[in-house]
Amino acid sequence: MQSLAATSAAGVLLDLSGVLILLLAFACLASKLFNRYVAYYGAQSVVLSFAAATVAVTFRSVELWILAVLTLAVKGIAIPLAARRLLVTRLALKRDAAMSTGLSTSLIAGGALTAFAYLVTRPALLPHGTVAAAVVPLSTAVILLGCLSMVVRRHTVAQLIGWLIVENGVFLGAITLVATFPFIVEAGIFLDIVAGVLIMVVFVSGLTRQLAEASAGELRELHG
Amino acid sequence: MTGLAILVALSPLTGPIAALAGARARLAGTAQAVGAAIAFGCSLALLALLDGGKPLAGWDGFLYVDSLGGFFLMTVAAVTLLAAVGSVSYVAAQEDDGELSGFQVRLYFSFFGLFASLMLAALETGNLGLLFVLVEASTLASAALVGLEGRARSLEAAWKYIIISSLGVTIALVGTLFLFYSGSALHSVANHGSSNLGLTWPYLLAHAHALAPQSLRLAFLLAVVGYGTKVGLAPMHTWLPDAHAEAPSPASAMLSAALLNTGMYAIIRFLAIAHARLGSAYPRAVLLSFGFASIVIGALFMVRRSTAGGPGGRPPGVQSKRLFAYSSVEHMGIIAVALGFGGLLGLYGALLQTLNHALAKAVLFLSSGDVSLRYRTREASQVSGLLAAVPVTGGVLLLATFAVLGSPPFGLFLSELTIVRAGFASASPVFPLLLLALLGLAFVAFARTTAGMVTGSPPARLSSPYRGRAAVAVTAAPLILGLAALLVLGLWIPAGLNTILVRSAAVIG
Repeated sequence: MQSLAATSAAGVLLDLSGVLILLLAFACLASKLFNRYVAYYGAQSVVLSFAAATVAVTFRSVELWILAVLTLAVKGIAIPLAARRLLVTRLALKRDAAMSTGLSTSLIAGGALTAFAYLVTRPALLPHGTVAAAVVPLSTAVILLGCLSMVVRRHTVAQLIGWLIVENGVFLGAITLVATFPFIVEAGIFLDIVAGVLIMVVFVSGLTRQLAEASAGELRELHG
Repeated sequence: MTGLAILVALSPLTGPIAALAGARARLAGTAQAVGAAIAFGCSLALLALLDGGKPLAGWDGFLYVDSLGGFFLMTVAAVTLLAAVGSVSYVAAQEDDGELSGFQVRLYFSFFGLFASLMLAALETGNLGLLFVLVEASTLASAALVGLEGRARSLEAAWKYIIISSLGVTIALVGTLFLFYSGSALHSVANHGSSNLGLTWPYLLAHAHALAPQSLRLAFLLAVVGYGTKVGLAPMHTWLPDAHAEAPSPASAMLSAALLNTGMYAIIRFLAIAHARLGSAYPRAVLLSFGFASIVIGALFMVRRSTAGGPGGRPPGVQSKRLFAYSSVEHMGIIAVALGFGGLLGLYGALLQTLNHALAKAVLFLSSGDVSLRYRTREASQVSGLLAAVPVTGGVLLLATFAVLGSPPFGLFLSELTIVRAGFASASPVFPLLLLALLGLAFVAFARTTAGMVTGSPPARLSSPYRGRAAVAVTAAPLILGLAALLVLGLWIPAGLNTILVRSAAVIG
């Protein structure tokens, strides 16, 4: 399997997209408005599809082109639109108050997680000078930031967005680490995400109807 | 043979087809049971045909069934059959009661069959990426079953389940990526046209010596954490008690006895590769840590649940299904520990324990479903005199309790004994002794609760929730069948099963 050099034009573009994706994950972590969560997620997915297109051009891979277009259409447009229509607007969600820590604390924790991601993925694991060595720590950080926002936020919609950010991080890692990952599998993963979002939307609406506010923090009946 | 394998995975779809065609609970349930019976029969036939030891492979590695896969197929198909037969009377009674609407019944059978079919398909693929896709899809299908009843509690449990499991399985996907990456030296050397091959389990195992050890370590750890979320290994088990308690009882049986095993199967596939490249020390350390954590958590929660300040020894507010769920956490921990001990004895014990636990848990959850229908409560403390009121269910519940706790003459006694022996043979004696102590603790805590349900005097008025004698017989059939199988496995392991177990253990390494 070929590996992109970090200094090639495509490598620089990928690196740049990775940084943008990480910054958007931070932006999502730092915001308190549901509208913004969805907007940042959509923007992140658009950058991700650009990154996939870059890899597709480099490797002249038709499958990766299809994936890039799918990412743009589904993650960049369809899911944000649906989330805004079906959840944010319909449930009249505005400010997210259900957080277990303050914004500054969660940002500091996010910074620490990013440093941790560099610490674990840098040494020995990845060959020096390839674009993977630059981008995989970024994608690991995005995965950890998504997990963090799922932990910190107690609202179900915010947790859903957190999971989607984790998926974006995995996808970024996948296209840089293993560009030749089998297409059928990638397509199946895509299908899973779409089905997952659909089912989760049903649950969120159901929970909101049951409770005045669908905050997982108030879901206290089951424990232990 | 390929046709047989396809039939195994597709035949549970009879239930969804009947349900979508608008059948009511009895008809859809019968269709589901027939489909499950076909799947079970085909899985047995497949095992018999695999007898030569040559695995069934095709379609670029997307289809791959060896004796290990065949063994898990048989286990999951058997559980599906028991749960499908149990569903017929359970769902019909709920429909007659007005507890479930016609729409919910159709939803139940649509997702029940889909869930079973996806799990069986996951056990038949040799492609680790497709394995991820199918396991994640089965999570989605089963989440609909958990949230079926639509109350706030069940929706909450379903949400917890879907979000934790999806995140967990995503971590397993990262592990799969790193496994693929660890073989990148392989791809450039061999330069195979198809990239599918690089993600195919038999290929990776055959070329394990060429995998990069650093990323393989990471891949194995991520896979254990990720698929361990589905298995219910502590500390990733938090979704499990809620989901098991809130799902309809036959669906709980499927979760505990089929889904957890499917997750364990995925871990075993990664284990085989890790074992071949990294030796036994690293996988053992990982599996023993997670395994013992699960056994401790499971046993302690069973103790807490059964002694939560109840006067006179009757614990208040214990849902029996919640207790069974913690017992599942404990048993999955035992299986992980056995895999960690390794060696022929340990692997043999782990597989036998898988089969025994699946049968025992299916019986327990199905009988608790019958109890909750008859007593109209899920609280164990409000149930008493079961043995006098409903002798069959009461007797089965009592015997299955002893079976799942590992007392002779049932199968789990034999498998747990094998595992402890494997521990003494391979690791330091501290581990098997600790295992024995924890098993004893779990025994006391668990038996306390069910003993209270079975003994005593029954409440004055208990109306049967079933219509007609046939429904009562259908309820009892899977209970008695499952218990009989457990008893047989405790006394005698058929030569064919023995061969399969030995061969599967050899596959793992």
